[in-house]
Amino acid sequence: MLPNRSRLSVLVFLLPPLLLYGVAVLFPILQSLFLSFFSWNGISDMQFVGLANYVRMLTGDDIFWRSFFNALGYLAICLVLQLGGALLVASLLTSMRRGRELIKTLYLLPAVISTVAIAFLFVRIYSLEPVGLLNQLLHWIGLGALERPWLSDINSVLAAVSAPEGWRFTGLYMLIIYAALLSVPQELEEAARLDGASRWQLFTKIRFPHIMPVWITTTIMATTYGLRGFDIPYLMTNGGPGQSSELLTTYMYKTAFTSTDFGYASTIAVFIVVECLVAVGLILFMLKRKADA
Amino acid sequence: MKKLFRTAAVAAAAALALAGCGSGTASDPSNVRPTGEVKPREISWLLSRPADGAVINIMKKLADDYTKDHPGFSLNLITTPDRPSYIQKLETLAAANKLPELFDTDATPFAQQLAKQGKMVDAEKLLKSLDVYDDYRPSALDYQRFDDGSLNMIPFQFELEFIWYNKALLQKAGVSVPKSLDDIPAMCTALRNAGITPFAIDGQDQWPLERYVAYQPFREAGPNFIQKLKKGEAKFSDAAGQKTVEWLASLGKAKCFQDGFSSQGYSDAQNQFTSGQAAMYNIGTWELPSLATDKLNPSVREDIDFFTLPTTEGSVTAANEFVSPSGIGMAVNAKTYDPLVSDFLKFALTKYPSEYAATGALSPTTNVETVVPANATPLYKKALEKATDLGDEQAMPWDTQLDPTTNGRLQQELVLLVQGNITPEQFTSTMDSTIAQNAPKFFK
Repeated sequence: MLPNRSRLSVLVFLLPPLLLYGVAVLFPILQSLFLSFFSWNGISDMQFVGLANYVRMLTGDDIFWRSFFNALGYLAICLVLQLGGALLVASLLTSMRRGRELIKTLYLLPAVISTVAIAFLFVRIYSLEPVGLLNQLLHWIGLGALERPWLSDINSVLAAVSAPEGWRFTGLYMLIIYAALLSVPQELEEAARLDGASRWQLFTKIRFPHIMPVWITTTIMATTYGLRGFDIPYLMTNGGPGQSSELLTTYMYKTAFTSTDFGYASTIAVFIVVECLVAVGLILFMLKRKADA
Repeated sequence: MKKLFRTAAVAAAAALALAGCGSGTASDPSNVRPTGEVKPREISWLLSRPADGAVINIMKKLADDYTKDHPGFSLNLITTPDRPSYIQKLETLAAANKLPELFDTDATPFAQQLAKQGKMVDAEKLLKSLDVYDDYRPSALDYQRFDDGSLNMIPFQFELEFIWYNKALLQKAGVSVPKSLDDIPAMCTALRNAGITPFAIDGQDQWPLERYVAYQPFREAGPNFIQKLKKGEAKFSDAAGQKTVEWLASLGKAKCFQDGFSSQGYSDAQNQFTSGQAAMYNIGTWELPSLATDKLNPSVREDIDFFTLPTTEGSVTAANEFVSPSGIGMAVNAKTYDPLVSDFLKFALTKYPSEYAATGALSPTTNVETVVPANATPLYKKALEKATDLGDEQAMPWDTQLDPTTNGRLQQELVLLVQGNITPEQFTSTMDSTIAQNAPKFFK
């Protein structure tokens, strides 16, 4: 228990960031909630419509549901690439003797490249006319039948816009997980090895349970980042062709700033907030249940 | 918690109310002769034009000339050439009631709402008061008019849209210039069979493909079709609508556009045509410096020609009527219109046409003659001459006509239709219901 003066100091120092958080995060959320009950195009009078925007969103908008399921697909691909890739690379790094720093730097490099540059780079990589790197590679290795305009094909575009996001942040999560893996007590691992544990058992019984708190944090970070994914898909395809790579975020943005339907866009924004809260809640619930089991 | 929530909600409401209070009221948009002293200051023009383009360069020069006699005056040009980003910026500033003295806009339903709220000066009255109205080409002004005939934007360009083609590639495929729009699918098939990409198109920006949806209805039912369609008074399921839907589907089936066109940009399409990889390219006279001067790739220079929009059997519009836009227009903010803005516009608009024509571009006025550049090919003059022979009607680009939501959906569905991902029936049904749902909000 902190003495009274210390508690006061903590509160005093917590107040500015709390105020900032309130103004920058909570206030816009509440403002969106407020606007979601109105029909407003930005220049005419606001019209109170009650729950009509929510009814329209949940029951009468095919693009909303398409965007929602696309967002889930996008999230799944990003999580596999970011967390799966990060865990794999971090685990391999721990068994390396030389060149760790170089590998870490190379993997981290995409995280510091501008989003616009990444988007344009991948548009070129996926291009068919003129032929881009991916199609050229497929041709060279004898998989010419798979060549396609990746961003124009409605079957491949969602994966194609998700991959750059996954590629971009793998290095960042790899660093976090690598740092966590380094903190696994060596004596525990050695004792397990002496008891005849395989590498897989060593990983599942010793290492992974030890890094679980970090893993949970990383998963929450990656999930919320994935759910709010916007820039790369928007820049690469603008949600197209059709609505094949439309995400809730790009749809919300277009509804607000292209269709000038600020009320309905706020309704989608509120849904995204709820969706993020539910996703984080679910992760915590599942991981807690697993830990208790 | 409940108390906290209530307080926050009230704060949000208060902020919105305050924002509303700050919006101010518009001045009288028909008062084009403000009285008072000309007091030099900085005025801004929010515009969506190429940063190094002729319009901006000339207006910068004219502003500098004006400053010499009016110290303290400056013209702040805020440019966002990317049209979708520009529209978002414009709409956001309009929502915040922070539009500058001058701003660019097409004659869109959103702009019409601004005009109805008295936020834009009556451009017809303004031009008449400056004694320059009669200098303008009627079609340049008509392009800027709203459906009710009112004029709130001033044109700075005049362009003609053609289908440029490569004679050698057409010859290689054994096809000739199409006599009818309906000949184009078969022409594409022949070109594809000869290993040639028929049309190079910028699919990323979406408006180039949207041009194609306008062609058949313009020939079949005239310029009024889109005015009815956008209000839900005509439908895609009508004869003219079905003709365009089926035609677009047949263009897709004949693989008229390059593979993966929807993710290809403007320069990709231009390069494809000017490097001789595609046989045709549908673009306006703003591309003359790239298509009809010695800047053009020498290997195709002698082979490039153009044809105007083909007619169809029973066409209600003539061959000399096609898309002839006068570009994005400039609106004058009624709220900030004062003796200075009026005086500067008078100075600039009287001097602009001759400066603009000297760059080799078609002026929106008829009182000047375009100077053909020294490095132009004969095609340059041939293209300019088409401006003297224009009919009375012009095909309006649909992206300036439809409400924003319908326009966005149309652009998305068109790609799917042309790629063969949806059937003409699905396209028709989706678009008719989209218009029914969204048009009433804009066209009450």
